[in-house]
Amino acid sequence: MLMSKKDSDIPWVEKYRPKSIRDMALPTARLGRQRIKLDEELTSFLNEFFEERKHINRKNQQIREFNRTAIEKDQKEEVRIPPDKAAVLLEGPPGIGKTSIVFALANDFNMEVIETNASDTRTRNALESKLKETTKSRGIMDFITKSKEKLIFIDEIDGIYGVQDRGAIPTVLDLIDNTQFPIIMCSNEYKTNLQPLYNKIKRYEVHPLPKKEVVKIAKSILDEENITTLKSEDLELIIDKNNGDLRGVINDIQGIGQGKLEGDVRELILSLRRDSLEEIFTLIRDLFKVSSLREARNLTDKSDVDYNFLYKWINENLITFIKSNRELNNAFENLSLADEIFGRIRTTQYWGLLPYFFDLFTGGVALSRKETPISKGFQRVVFPRYSSGSYFSLTNVERDFIEKINRKYKISQIDFIQDFLPFLKVLCGASRKQLKNVSDWLELDAKEKRLLKYKSL
Amino acid sequence: MSKEIPIWRIKYHPKDLDNVCGREQVKETLKKIIQQRNFPHLLFVGSKGIGKTMIAQLFSKEFLDKDYDANFRLVYANVPLTDEERKQARTDAYIPTSKIGSSAGRRITTPVFIQAKVKPFVQLKVLGDAPYKILIVKNFETLGSDQQGFRRLMEIYGTNCRMILITTKISSIINPIVSRCQIILVSQVELDKFKELILDIAKKESLNISNECIEMLFRISDGKISRAIDLLQLSSLSGNTITAEDLYDNSIKFHNDLIRSLLMVAFKGDFPKTRDLARTILSDYKYSAHELFKLLLIEINKLPLSRFTRINLISLIADSDFRSLDGRDNDIQVSALLSKICLFSEYM
Repeated sequence: MLMSKKDSDIPWVEKYRPKSIRDMALPTARLGRQRIKLDEELTSFLNEFFEERKHINRKNQQIREFNRTAIEKDQKEEVRIPPDKAAVLLEGPPGIGKTSIVFALANDFNMEVIETNASDTRTRNALESKLKETTKSRGIMDFITKSKEKLIFIDEIDGIYGVQDRGAIPTVLDLIDNTQFPIIMCSNEYKTNLQPLYNKIKRYEVHPLPKKEVVKIAKSILDEENITTLKSEDLELIIDKNNGDLRGVINDIQGIGQGKLEGDVRELILSLRRDSLEEIFTLIRDLFKVSSLREARNLTDKSDVDYNFLYKWINENLITFIKSNRELNNAFENLSLADEIFGRIRTTQYWGLLPYFFDLFTGGVALSRKETPISKGFQRVVFPRYSSGSYFSLTNVERDFIEKINRKYKISQIDFIQDFLPFLKVLCGASRKQLKNVSDWLELDAKEKRLLKYKSL
Repeated sequence: MSKEIPIWRIKYHPKDLDNVCGREQVKETLKKIIQQRNFPHLLFVGSKGIGKTMIAQLFSKEFLDKDYDANFRLVYANVPLTDEERKQARTDAYIPTSKIGSSAGRRITTPVFIQAKVKPFVQLKVLGDAPYKILIVKNFETLGSDQQGFRRLMEIYGTNCRMILITTKISSIINPIVSRCQIILVSQVELDKFKELILDIAKKESLNISNECIEMLFRISDGKISRAIDLLQLSSLSGNTITAEDLYDNSIKFHNDLIRSLLMVAFKGDFPKTRDLARTILSDYKYSAHELFKLLLIEINKLPLSRFTRINLISLIADSDFRSLDGRDNDIQVSALLSKICLFSEYM
């Protein structure tokens, strides 16, 4: 006889995972700058996909028949579902309900979810064997019964990384081109190695739930589990600390609720620490208040913020804390030296140099502040906005533009961007007639025309 | 052609070798080659933007005549390969296991550029009546150590395909390549020929331009014809008479002056503004940090500064450039340099 699982064994996160998209609290989301409703958007994505697939399959059938009779030789290529209709990407911080949305959606549509996540090896071969067959074939039983539709769900796609997962991204791209089933992907953050993917498909930014929603859900779970020991201000503390991460909240209240509550609950809550953005913000604010190298070192030792990013954050935010040119000069002198040392560490693998790197980019930078007073007000800390590409790369629009130019005038991509495009911008900025002439002659579309917009510096 | 070409640089692009402005010596050599129907690999040397590629292209066109389309190819060594090309190169380099020998099932490790862009072209037989194919490799010096791969390639496929290598820096081309080529020096266009060309365009576009203005145009555009024509077209927008101010105003909108305005903002000592401008330039023009440093250096040599200031600024740039070699984040190095210039401006 099978042992039935005890209720208390299931993590609450799984236990309270919403069954339908209708009864879940939806996080807000954005596509580019536009605010959208995630449930409508995803539902219409699936509906459109099925519509498109039907259409395309019918077309391919025709093409195949044509080819058999060799009437239409031009139409050798079978048509495919355009990539932006075949797949979407949800991007947002962990624990806000991305996975839940996908499963709830699949449940609503009565679909089977084929999932891969970061725990699977995702080499080219592994991914292919798992996904490709399911995407291309429709299963042997399809002839007899009407099987469930399938939904391919690639979770934690930003976890595709390193040597183990080599070749996975091209496979995913391939998959998007050839799929017979809709694909939804999730990731936590922007990754440069996913750029080819971003170029192809729609990328929704999912934002954390508002606090009052989180409170509502947490309270309903506490009611369900009959836990009355957790005071509401403690709950607030948990929610604040998790910073929108609903999964974190549920895990924390399970951790606290199922254990025996003795002693100081607040201490316990604070010990359940989870890395969050707020930590970087406070760390940077604190860092510029230090008065000695030791303090700076203590601060960075205590926090577990990744130093790979931290020094970029410092580079971006330095100018809000340090104002005079002399101080800036000293700060950047130290920061650039730190950067150089870090680069050398990475190339030579001589990690013994790491302490210099640490001291220079934390204390070295922070202690350069001598004249600028510590501001009492709130200092806004911003994301590192700019990352300079180490090599020359073009967007899709630019590439199309160059292709069009090259039909009439041979020019290399680099010359075009650095020499010809600035001229075209000035020329087309002069008058609307010029813009019309040029774009008519080159047969540009609206997107490419936007490249010609002249902005004076 | 029913419709007039709106961009003069393309409209007045020479159609054959005879129409190329100036450079009589080069043209003569090339014409002799066309008569003889035979030439060794060629190496075109000359400074940036003066028309080496254009001459090489027109030469190939005249040499191959009606077989031009099938037997000619122009590749850019400095443009990075796309992912698809890399992928293709990897699959091409694979030797299938059905072949016999120790290399079966492995990959040949030739440089990706050669594998993707050069080999597929040179390995194919000549089409039509042409004696051989012509491959132009532009900015050859940027290949760096990949140049070694060209040595045998030029010998093995030399009978099938002649190469024209184009470079601005002959010193960074390895000796074995130089010894396999006939060197053709392409000079800047002569001033009197330049005058003839501009006057011809002015006549066709019914513009009035004085002698001094042409000389100024020549100076501003560093003798680069395409840039000069660009400037001329921009200046013509405001009226049929070209004045010196027009030329100057328009040249400011071009990129070398962007670098100048960056320096000007930096000299005012406002660091946040300077950094924003530098970032816009870097992302608009897709310069690497190293290229930006180089442009700054050129600009500083042009500006009227005291000897002391100039040498100090140059040492600052050199220091930053050196650091960015090892550094991980170019933005930090650029910011560091700008902050130093901002501080330095307080003592100027």
